[in-house]
Amino acid sequence: MRIPILKLYNYLLTTIQVELDDQTAIQFQDDLLKKIHETGALGVVIDLTSVEIIDSYIAKILGDVVNMSELLGAKVVLTGIRPAVALTLVDLGIGLKGVPTALDLEQGLEKLRQELGE
Amino acid sequence: MMMKNAPSRVEIHNEWDIVRARQSGRDYAKELGFGNVDQARIATAISELARNIYLYAKPGVITIEVIDDQGKKGLAITAKDDGPGINDLRQAMEDGYTTSGGLGAGLPGVKRLMDEFDILSEAGKGTKITARKYLR
Amino acid sequence: MASSVISLISTRRAEIIERWKESIQKVSGTTDQANGRAIETTNEKLVELIFDYLSDNQSQDRLNNLMGRILQLGWPLSYLTSGVQLFRRVVGTLIIESNEEKGIILDYFQAMDDLLDPIFNNLIEDATSTWENTVSIQKRALLELSAPLIPVMEHIAVMPLIGTIDTERAKLIMENLLEGVITHRAEVVLIDITGVPVVDTMVAHHIIQAAEAVRLVGSECILVGIRPEIAQTIVNLGIELKDFPTRSTLQKGIERALEMTNRKIVCTQEGGNV
Repeated sequence: MRIPILKLYNYLLTTIQVELDDQTAIQFQDDLLKKIHETGALGVVIDLTSVEIIDSYIAKILGDVVNMSELLGAKVVLTGIRPAVALTLVDLGIGLKGVPTALDLEQGLEKLRQELGE
Repeated sequence: MMMKNAPSRVEIHNEWDIVRARQSGRDYAKELGFGNVDQARIATAISELARNIYLYAKPGVITIEVIDDQGKKGLAITAKDDGPGINDLRQAMEDGYTTSGGLGAGLPGVKRLMDEFDILSEAGKGTKITARKYLR
Repeated sequence: MASSVISLISTRRAEIIERWKESIQKVSGTTDQANGRAIETTNEKLVELIFDYLSDNQSQDRLNNLMGRILQLGWPLSYLTSGVQLFRRVVGTLIIESNEEKGIILDYFQAMDDLLDPIFNNLIEDATSTWENTVSIQKRALLELSAPLIPVMEHIAVMPLIGTIDTERAKLIMENLLEGVITHRAEVVLIDITGVPVVDTMVAHHIIQAAEAVRLVGSECILVGIRPEIAQTIVNLGIELKDFPTRSTLQKGIERALEMTNRKIVCTQEGGNV
């Protein structure tokens, strides 16, 4: 299962619509980093509106993706984390500190624009 | 929908089984009347327990069953394996402790996600973890 | 044996009632005339019910019957238990006075216990289950006093917290908070703790968790309504609230929230104060 990644000007957009299993998550990490490298994208929005469960393993992969992307020069914003998922992550003791978030895709793009000074 | 009184039993051999186990847990939680957030808590707890088995002690079994403790209804999740056991239980229950390169949120996280948490482990024999959550 | 005790009791009925009334009056003792009348009626009713129960030995559910009738009267539990206790004492005295052989007297006592113990147990059981029921209803009522999220202007919402916050309530508040943030698309939420009497480590922990969760869904928190004594306890307890902004009043918090969303309040009339 592969998660599609769209390019929009200087940004990459991706919305995760499937239940994230480990394989898919790791494949996604690979694909996204390659795409950032190919396109020289400055910003990435990962939309998680449809994701119902994030356990500590998936959370780690997501956090890693954010840090790795920054090494490649792309700022990442996570959007649409559901209330239930947020509360579960907090229970797990995972605050994803330092990872930018926004309510939805639109505000995520807005946040990137501000951060990149465009 | 058929009422699920019979326990569900999912064997954990590979990564897909982790997804199967937590989906089954979510179904049970939903049917029993748990709210949205508690469904996510239960499913996530199962995911953590199943992953522990997958990483350290496969094969193992996740059992999900409906419990009724003097009118207090809930779900009990049992994770059982015949793996190497946990050497230092206290260490394993510490936040941030990991031997797998994960976030180390596993066991203490499960404890916080659920209402009750019991763990029995013997070096060389295996581990049995039972976690319960009650309807509010 | 049960039947002979019952026949002993019923043949001496008048005497038992007389003695029982004497001792119960010491327990419920009052000198007040009007009140005394009421108590006497109550006493007569109770002893009558006990006699009914004893003589009605055919019926299987006579005990339920008795309980139903006693509880309907709504008397305090302490009165009911001492009433039954005194009844036992009076009958006990009668048994001893009957001058029977030791073995028979013991049998009588045994039979009496078998008859009266269930009354006791049921009284206590019924009373506790009523209390538990009441407590759980009140607990639910308290939970319903949950905090609403109030949108004050575009992208800004306020959640006033009132009363003591325990773990169960904290969970409900957090769920309301997060659902509200999504529904109102609030970019900034002000949590107002003016109405929270005590902020200890646990309450602070819940607030920090709420703020973390709010950040995860893509919004931001400002903690407002911090009174001086609360600021003192927070620092004295060594609680770290540095990850999100705090303000002393709701007003100052809203000013900060406007800044965060790139807005400010301006005066439309010259010379006015903002």
